[in-house]
Amino acid sequence: MPDRPSASELADAVREFLEAEVLPSVQDARLRFRLLVAANALSIAKRDLEMGDDLLREEIALLRPLGEAPPPGTPREQALALSAALARRIRRGEVPSGTLEALRRIAELKLRVASPRYLERG
Amino acid sequence: MQSTLKGPSPDLAGWTDERNGAMVRVVVREMKSAAPLGTAAPGEAVQVALGACVEELFGVGTKLARASLLGGGASMEAWAVDAETPRGPVALLVRRAAGGRIYRDALSLAQEFRVLEAAWEAGVRVPRPYRHFPDVAGREAFAMERLPGETVGRRIVQRSELEAARAALPGQMAEQLARIHGLDAARLDFLPGARDEEPLRRSLDVLEAQLDEVGEPHPAIELALLRLRRDLPRGGPRRVCHGDFRLGNLMVCAGGLTGVLDWEFAHVGDPREDLAWPMVRAWRFGREQLRLGGIAQPGVFLERYGQLTGLRVAPEELRVFELLGNLRWAIGALTQARRHLSSEERSVELAVLGRLAAEVEHELLSLLHEGGA
Repeated sequence: MPDRPSASELADAVREFLEAEVLPSVQDARLRFRLLVAANALSIAKRDLEMGDDLLREEIALLRPLGEAPPPGTPREQALALSAALARRIRRGEVPSGTLEALRRIAELKLRVASPRYLERG
Repeated sequence: MQSTLKGPSPDLAGWTDERNGAMVRVVVREMKSAAPLGTAAPGEAVQVALGACVEELFGVGTKLARASLLGGGASMEAWAVDAETPRGPVALLVRRAAGGRIYRDALSLAQEFRVLEAAWEAGVRVPRPYRHFPDVAGREAFAMERLPGETVGRRIVQRSELEAARAALPGQMAEQLARIHGLDAARLDFLPGARDEEPLRRSLDVLEAQLDEVGEPHPAIELALLRLRRDLPRGGPRRVCHGDFRLGNLMVCAGGLTGVLDWEFAHVGDPREDLAWPMVRAWRFGREQLRLGGIAQPGVFLERYGQLTGLRVAPEELRVFELLGNLRWAIGALTQARRHLSSEERSVELAVLGRLAAEVEHELLSLLHEGGA
């Protein structure tokens, strides 16, 4: 659906509302903290909406050499299937060559959505 | 309280570069401070029951001056209770069950109270334990002294007025751990691991079962688990461990450590678990380069601990235990998010932890990378 605001623009609108209008009126420290957590959750959702599909494809490309071809499905289903298959292999004690490097790259992809500042801090 | 490896999720709110170690338990942390937040409307039945408790503790003529619910979750409440006793005012913290399912790896309130008593008697700096009450308006609870001070990790690593505390903490932390590890395990035979020859193996099995309960594939965590099954030492010392000894669970005043809090994850294990836990990156509160809780390098801490216990531990020897700590926290964060997803305890804070677990996965992989294949 091409209508605007897009899902990510809506997430932005709600986050801006929380930060600009609700937060200044809240005194309670506990509630302020939860508001900031909620705003952060919206930022994560926005980044996921904008980048999630691309990052899933990158994740699939990184996991694909480590196992069997995934069954047909959406990128999300395929990434999940590949990840589950790799997790089962490692549990059995089999670590395909290149696993650690691929997983480090995937962790960075996840952080680009979940916590981009974590990567900047190094 | 309500978390398993609770612990702040670093930067839950993500609005500042300074990690606030905001784990889920910021609430609980706040409520442990001298100036509690006191927001929720206290239940009348509980107020009445608390009035009876303080009278039982301090005798006829004792009046309940104030009881405010500081926070809590599905499994635990905390009440700041002020009593006027015939011998003067007393500030208490009452922890009361909240009815929800308690984390299965946590002690019951009755057990936690017994550990607190043992620690108090052995001279560990803890809030003075008063009494366990099997029935406070229908649920169990225990009362202890309410210590003044700061528990929020981010503030402890940053605030200028706590600079002297930061200088004193490494030695003080070592001294308290030495005392804790000297507790008589035979007297606390209900602790998890008390009957295991190899408690570290048991820990790995429990963590693996928890990961399976999360029901989501995490190959990075599996890789760490595999490495730990290979590399964790066997036949190490067995001691009473605190299980959650880190900034955030330590009451700190200007002079440093005044109380070791939150004993619900006490168990019998390898003392090196406790030594490495405050070094886990999530508990450095934004000061990553200072490996001991964002306040110091581990040298003084380990040296003092070695002097007191005879157990000399080199920083490199703790790497594998730091990996274990990160594994614990990664699975802990995912488990907390499941509490939200399963509607056991709906909370945006718990929800966000599911995504912030990626930080811990990243750290696990960095440690694995440094450690070589």
